[in-house]
Amino acid sequence: MKNSGWVASLFAAAVCLAQGPVPAGNEAKPADEKAKAVSEAKAKQNARRFENSATIITFVDRYGKLTGRLGERALYDQTALSPDGKRIAVIKEDLPNESADLFILDVETGASTRLTTSAKTEFVMGPVWSPDSKRIAYTTIRSGQEGIYLRAANGEGPEEQVYKNPGAFLNLSDWSADGRFLAFAKSDLKGGNLYTLPLSGTEHNPAEVVHSELRMFEPRFSPDGRYLSYIVLDQANKAEVFVRPVDSAAGGGPWQISDGASSPAFWRRDGKALFYVARDQSVMSSEVSTSPAFTFKKPEVLYRQQSAVPDNIAYISADGDRFVVLPRPRGPQLQQITIFNREGQMVKKVGEPARYSPPAFSPDATRLLVTKMDLKTSQQDLWTIDIATGKSTQITKDTFPRISAIWSRDGRHVLYSSMRNGDFGIYRIPSDGTGSEEFLFQYTPGAGLVLSDVSPDGKSLICESGGVILTVPLTGSDAKARTAIETLREEFDDSTGRVSPDGRFLLFRSDEKQAERFEVYVRPFDPSTGKAGEQKWQISKDGAAAMLHWRNDGKEVFFRGLDLDSNDLRVMAAEVSTSPAFHTDAPKMLFKLPGPLSGTLGSVTSDGQQFVFAINVPAGKPDANTPTADSRHLP
Amino acid sequence: MNVLLALAFAMFATEGVAHHNMTATFDFNDRVSLTGTLTKVDWRNPHTYMTVEVKGANGAVETWLIEGPAPSFFRIRDFGKADFEGSIGKTVKVELSRARDKSRSGLIRTFELPTGKVISACPQNC
Repeated sequence: MKNSGWVASLFAAAVCLAQGPVPAGNEAKPADEKAKAVSEAKAKQNARRFENSATIITFVDRYGKLTGRLGERALYDQTALSPDGKRIAVIKEDLPNESADLFILDVETGASTRLTTSAKTEFVMGPVWSPDSKRIAYTTIRSGQEGIYLRAANGEGPEEQVYKNPGAFLNLSDWSADGRFLAFAKSDLKGGNLYTLPLSGTEHNPAEVVHSELRMFEPRFSPDGRYLSYIVLDQANKAEVFVRPVDSAAGGGPWQISDGASSPAFWRRDGKALFYVARDQSVMSSEVSTSPAFTFKKPEVLYRQQSAVPDNIAYISADGDRFVVLPRPRGPQLQQITIFNREGQMVKKVGEPARYSPPAFSPDATRLLVTKMDLKTSQQDLWTIDIATGKSTQITKDTFPRISAIWSRDGRHVLYSSMRNGDFGIYRIPSDGTGSEEFLFQYTPGAGLVLSDVSPDGKSLICESGGVILTVPLTGSDAKARTAIETLREEFDDSTGRVSPDGRFLLFRSDEKQAERFEVYVRPFDPSTGKAGEQKWQISKDGAAAMLHWRNDGKEVFFRGLDLDSNDLRVMAAEVSTSPAFHTDAPKMLFKLPGPLSGTLGSVTSDGQQFVFAINVPAGKPDANTPTADSRHLP
Repeated sequence: MNVLLALAFAMFATEGVAHHNMTATFDFNDRVSLTGTLTKVDWRNPHTYMTVEVKGANGAVETWLIEGPAPSFFRIRDFGKADFEGSIGKTVKVELSRARDKSRSGLIRTFELPTGKVISACPQNC
């Protein structure tokens, strides 16, 4: 699937969000003991997340030279350099409090000033500097009400609310150079709007600059205040930098500047260049003019990172000479697809290291299905790889984001969930790289939809949405007329439904025993009605992360066990019988691999004898075709 | 996480985790505050539903159907089904974003239990 890296990351993040944290617990314990166990488990989980994700703010120049590091190792989100370049505003996550707050760091001394203290589960977003570098504007939620606030950057004095947002996730992104206006965007499934907000007077009413059916983000004023740069997400979720006049009566525009972007645009201080980060993380520069009218030239590479897996560039200074980078905690990494046996011994490496998602065996175990990222474009496509020869075949070639890709039971197709124009649907495409995509099912508009299985007879899909497991009979020729049956709908989150080879049982995960701690269960399943039976057998005892799988004779199930004390991937198996009645033995660990490492629904061969994972390996030098640090001059 | 990613993530959190497009059904600019008697609780995925009976201006009782986040949303905030079912017949205060069709229904922004505990459904439902 072709897709920009950040959109793919977004899906991964959303899946993580849907799965949520996984505190340990035991229903037999007294309430206070259980609460303590949950608390300890959350602390472990937070420690793990911090260890895996925390980074340090780093500055590089456009020749790739490291010019400084700043502050402590932390979970940073958004960053904004002050116009005078002396301070940086950062949003820092607080994992125990499930919140995020605004800090100001002095670039010279590293001194940190905390500007906000959010309540649990509330957070601050979108810090923007006043043109004199003395104040900060930001959005935050206070007691359930989102607003735009101003505060002195040195932390003195109270914060001042200048706008109450009736909704949420307002995208505040700039403060005009004359200090008179803020710029923000609002986007939802119905499109987007750009606004300016006057700061003078007592009434601060936003003025709409433009409405679009496409989502828009990050409006930023040109230094003369006459134009806005902004990001448009097209229907295939590809981001582009555009410019348009603030006053639509002025005419002209919009002008598309980029050919694929992964950051907002940053105006150079003199208004004569626009910088942005391309999809391959190259910093691009376009020579522009805003007087007498807006003109621009084709963007050129200003700086390209030398690493084969470039770091995320978070901010570009107003002179285009400094970039804020948030390096990966473990350095640049690729993945080597590797097959293991039941003892955890390596059987085979497949292909060369690349940026892969967890691979999935075809039903006959001759091919692998994988999402591969193109390092030059950051786009992701579905590929199959022949295990014997290592030959890769590209399956998808467009920019639509795809998730939960699985094989059809006969191996002739690949099926997946994909969001189109804000709505999720299930699609399939031939696995040999020929033919086109076929639409199979459309769910409730706007609802998330994850595909987890195809029934053994190939006539139904098993999906999940909002903690509900659904069966979708593939009846009729009109895909839009197909409807979902609620297979399992409880007050708990049920997910990852997997039908037994004989079609009579459903393997799934549920957090019934404790919120957000999932265990593996089996229920009877009636393929003729798509309904789950009342009986229920618990398979796992100590938590289950994912990777649910039936052996093809129905006598063993697999899953990934929880490990709160390490990143290790624990491959678990339990012997079961489905006839005459269901029975399960206690699960046992087959082997574990050092992580961080993910498994997927197809990580196990049908016969349960082999396992495949994308093992992290350090990224080497860029290939010969990848230019190194660029030293182009500013326009 | 760059700015775009953070934003897009926030958007996706709103869109993808929500069962349907809330802004299409509910008007976040049309706020309603209710004080009334909780009469019914339907506690299931992907959304919870409750009914609250409120005395209208003319003294007549109006029944409001209110929609809330998934049960897991409440569970991880240490509120359970029992907190709501135990409040049936008691007075609750609710702030809603009203349905666009102007029916007596809305999406929970905040919910105050008879004990005085307040649960905010924002930012998911704001």
